[in-house]
Amino acid sequence: MRRKQVILFFLIIGWLSPPAVMAIQRFPKPEFESGYVVPDAQLPLPRAELLAWLDVTVLLLTLSLATYLVLKRRSRMGVFLLSLFSLAYFGFYRQGCVCSIGAIQNVTMALFSGSYTVPLTVLFFFLIPLVFTLLFGRTFCAAVCPFGTFQDLVSFRPVRMGAWLNAFLGMIPYLYLGLAVLFAATTTEFIICRYDPFVGIFRLNASFGMFLFAGLLLVSGVFIARPYCRFLCPYGVLLNWMSQFSWKHMTITPAECIQCRLCENVCPYDAIDFPQTKKNPAGQRKQVNQLILLSLLLPLLVLGGVWTGGKMHLTLAGVNSRVRLARMIQATPVSKDQPEIPEITAFRSSGVQQQQLMTEVATIEDDFLTGSRIFGGFVGLVFGITLIRLIRTPYRTDYLPNRGTCFSCAKCMDYCPVLKDKTNN
Amino acid sequence: MDKQSRRQFIRLAVRGTLFGGIALVTGNLILRQGEPLFGKNRKSGPTVWQLNPAKCIQCGRCATNCVKTPSAVKCTHAYSMCGYCNLCSGYFKPGTKTLDTGAEKQLCPVSAIKRTFVEDPFYEYTIDETLCIGCGKCVKGCGAFGNGSLQLQVRHPLCDNCNECSIARNCPAGAYRRVPLSDPYLLKGFGKEKV
Amino acid sequence: MKKLLPDEILVKFLRLLAMISGIFSLLICILIFINFFQLKRTDPLNSPALTLLQERLIQNPGDIALKQDIRQLDLMARKVFFTSQWQIRAGGYLLVACILVMIICLKTIELITPKIPSIAATGPEEPWNLRKIQRRWIIIAGILLVTFSLTLVWFTHRMLTGIPAEAGHLKANVSGRDSITGNPVLQSPVASLTSDTVRLLGNAVKSNQAVAEDFPTQQEIRSNFPSFRGPGGNGIAFQKNIPVLWDGASGKNIGWKTEIPLPGYNSPIIWKDKIFLSGAKENKREVYCLGASDGKILWTTDLSKIPGSPGQNPKVNAETGLAAPTLTTDGQRIYTIFANGDLAALDFEGKIIWTKSLGLPKNHYGHSSSLIMYHDMLIIQYDQTVSGKVIAFAGKTGEKVWETARNVKVSWASPVLANTGSRMELLLAAEPDVTSYDPATGKELWKLDCISGEVGPSVTYANGMVFSINEYSKLAAIRLGETPSLAWEDNEYLSDVPSPVAINDIVIVVTSYGVVVCYDAATGKKYWVKELEKSVYSSPMIAEGKIYILDKQGMMHILRADKILAVIGEPSLGEGSVCTPAFGEGRIYIRGNKHLFCITK
Repeated sequence: MRRKQVILFFLIIGWLSPPAVMAIQRFPKPEFESGYVVPDAQLPLPRAELLAWLDVTVLLLTLSLATYLVLKRRSRMGVFLLSLFSLAYFGFYRQGCVCSIGAIQNVTMALFSGSYTVPLTVLFFFLIPLVFTLLFGRTFCAAVCPFGTFQDLVSFRPVRMGAWLNAFLGMIPYLYLGLAVLFAATTTEFIICRYDPFVGIFRLNASFGMFLFAGLLLVSGVFIARPYCRFLCPYGVLLNWMSQFSWKHMTITPAECIQCRLCENVCPYDAIDFPQTKKNPAGQRKQVNQLILLSLLLPLLVLGGVWTGGKMHLTLAGVNSRVRLARMIQATPVSKDQPEIPEITAFRSSGVQQQQLMTEVATIEDDFLTGSRIFGGFVGLVFGITLIRLIRTPYRTDYLPNRGTCFSCAKCMDYCPVLKDKTNN
Repeated sequence: MDKQSRRQFIRLAVRGTLFGGIALVTGNLILRQGEPLFGKNRKSGPTVWQLNPAKCIQCGRCATNCVKTPSAVKCTHAYSMCGYCNLCSGYFKPGTKTLDTGAEKQLCPVSAIKRTFVEDPFYEYTIDETLCIGCGKCVKGCGAFGNGSLQLQVRHPLCDNCNECSIARNCPAGAYRRVPLSDPYLLKGFGKEKV
Repeated sequence: MKKLLPDEILVKFLRLLAMISGIFSLLICILIFINFFQLKRTDPLNSPALTLLQERLIQNPGDIALKQDIRQLDLMARKVFFTSQWQIRAGGYLLVACILVMIICLKTIELITPKIPSIAATGPEEPWNLRKIQRRWIIIAGILLVTFSLTLVWFTHRMLTGIPAEAGHLKANVSGRDSITGNPVLQSPVASLTSDTVRLLGNAVKSNQAVAEDFPTQQEIRSNFPSFRGPGGNGIAFQKNIPVLWDGASGKNIGWKTEIPLPGYNSPIIWKDKIFLSGAKENKREVYCLGASDGKILWTTDLSKIPGSPGQNPKVNAETGLAAPTLTTDGQRIYTIFANGDLAALDFEGKIIWTKSLGLPKNHYGHSSSLIMYHDMLIIQYDQTVSGKVIAFAGKTGEKVWETARNVKVSWASPVLANTGSRMELLLAAEPDVTSYDPATGKELWKLDCISGEVGPSVTYANGMVFSINEYSKLAAIRLGETPSLAWEDNEYLSDVPSPVAINDIVIVVTSYGVVVCYDAATGKKYWVKELEKSVYSSPMIAEGKIYILDKQGMMHILRADKILAVIGEPSLGEGSVCTPAFGEGRIYIRGNKHLFCITK
């Protein structure tokens, strides 16, 4: 009986090459006598590819200009004006998508998933700022990234944060980066995009929660300068690493520091390292001991991270839609009077057997076990290294920007009384 | 070697390593795209989001989960498949007997479908995109009793093409996927839009 | 450069402007939120008033005034919807404009006000102190993070363990071997639902001193698989963590497979770590014991020559064979019967304890009724063409405890033991009756004329109802009580080999031509019908809320034991089979046409 229907179905539309289940020609195509011509479906085209390459070009140009303005011209005003342009172009015109921050996920997914290839334009959005930062410091943050420039614009009354709060909150970006990579590598979801606070404002359209988050960030951003950049941005972690080993980084003073202390309090991001010439009263001995102890502890921290990560894997896997579906199917008692959950309805009509789903989910959960362990190990390592680096108090004679955390925004330069001309001799 | 130059050397070495790392990742990502890197058939081109009407179950989430309001997903009419029925199950509520355009008979909650007489007994149905909210009620009706010529599609000029589509994340049927920019619609039909 | 305004006045003006635009944007913000929530709350497009009127219209299609009302309301709803959306959008633009004005003002103030660097009177704090504090806070962050993660894990774990059914599959492999004897499975959801079925099977009163007793407790019976179709022969296994995925061809999840020397259509039974089955050919009858862990044949006992054996082979149908009845065990001995009426009790080492010959059964297809234990009694349904009977032997000695003559035609069904709430009943089926006996004495309790023909399928019991079925007869649902009566019957899908199973409020029938039907146990309403398109001789088993149906080609159809059809899996054995699977903890044992398979996870 059913087979007959199927045969009939193919007889009817067989010559039309059966494209989909739903394309059932129940009613024949009418033959019009009035001369009516069947119109084509209206299918307007998306944004042309050329414009995506224009974006890459604009990125390259603004980044070069920003670098020039920071390193050569040392012009805060220039940086500010350029940042307005970037905000307008990458923010309000391009609506913040695809941005370099989100591109982390595309690149990760392309690295781990066989089916996804990252578009070249997206790859460039990921790479160009990294390369620039490796050469010249985080000029991308200063004047190109629409998120950074937006927050910079509203930081009217920046207050200095306690060192402890900086250290405490400073750990969040590593977690965020780790989670984003984990979820992207398992093709689960793009959490950076999902919890992106500013695109909603750029588009003037977002969910209520998104607006609330954005509002909170911007209002707190009046007092805490660049809260997203410092305490959330996962791309900032990568830029931080790059910037620490950059070839030419901006300096506060164009020539020799005269120790005038004028720049001491001007950096709203606490990114200026003060001179440090005194000896630690605790003595060299104690520092070395602490260093040895922590270095021995480091593998333990990593192992602890791996262990916790392994424990977490089922929790983290719950974010994956397939895993969620499987759990939903299991948790939902099958009864006729209950309203159907769309996920389950769709699954039933997909023709995939539950066993297939279970096998698939088991593989996903396995991936998550490996991924969560690596993620945990990474977090443990980051904690360990951060602790180790906090033991040393390096000898320093001048006021220097902290290469890792400095956004190269050039704000401090205006406060330096040393004249540029002196550099030239 | 004094302290300063030692530090410089370490920095140089690490910088070199980081460059190498970046180059490695880039090379890997570009090489795995395979030939050709440019031209029409390459894989590395930009993508857009689209939903596959064959998988769609018309749950109504396209209307509510898009980052845009109203949603960038609209009902799209593949005229070539349409039966031009007088009693259109995508236009009329089930059980409608007298076939006029009274609001109480229309399935569409925003009255976005226009019904125009062509010739006896055929009627043409057009979607007013400025009104359509992408709820998929008409799509469900047409698919259930008609030819299935009404289908939901992401309308690209309206779509922001988010890095990860918010509807895709919530689609219960997994009908959304990234499609190449050169082939941005998955409308199923018998005319030019045949896929 | 000449200035239009002195700086102070300009700053004052800008400050005022910034303040006004700030307050204004705050107001707009609040308005947008109010509008947004109103739209969310009222949801004009799905207004209940409109739905109500629509429903009324369906009842009175001719009501023109009602139609007018609907049209007006619909128009209004749409107006509200689109106006609200417009308001929100316009508000959004206005808000951005205001904030822009505010930002411009504030930035301009910033630009024209001279910047004075502030220098703290005291120098910065000692760096090592700062770093010490930072280290402390990073450690605090780490501890908080780990605590938070573990709490989250704990909650997820609780949530996940709350999931019944297939959840076991998702978990990491749990060694089934260790827990066969380890965990009593009393708490299993399946077990508690049908607990009354088997409660009196074991001796609940004496359960405290289980090991010393002559017969196993209910717990022990449930944690093993002592007879055909599981404890009580009722088609329900109480084991957990049952595999749903394997493939005989590739060997995936096949723990081991062992060739069984002699053929036989009896199914394996399990006690602790040993599996028992039998095989026979003309003039040769053997019992095999296999180790559950590796499938090695631990011993073989030859029962070809037992005293009093008829010495001639019975005439049997090829589809019945010479060793159709499944063995049974009481945990101390195993019992076996062959098609020629030879009966034997062996100990767990394979030593013969006692033998008996019941004489060549008068049975034109071959005797196939399996054995079952009630306490320390071995019960045999011995339906023949003439003088059918049901007999109970003492397990220890082989002495006859009771014998009751049965006024029925020959049958091939097996006995079923059920606790009907107040007592244990032994349920047998053969034309013309389903008959219930007191298993302790052999006294007939009730009978109901509801079955006819050459009865192959056994009955099944669940929640006060007995279900019997036979081809060319009917599916009969008997409601027990003072006087058992026929609750409902159906004759659309009938089985001549596989027995039905029942759980909760459904009964599932598998026909030998491969149709699975799910009925409402109380009313006989059909919930679903599934065609397997393969023939089935094996009886369906229920384990962990799933029905396991093995077709003759060796494909296991795993369905959800529920009112809604769900296929969980269709793994294949790679060898044909007509035997009913046996269940161990985390394992399934299937006797194929040649091999015994152990399926693991």
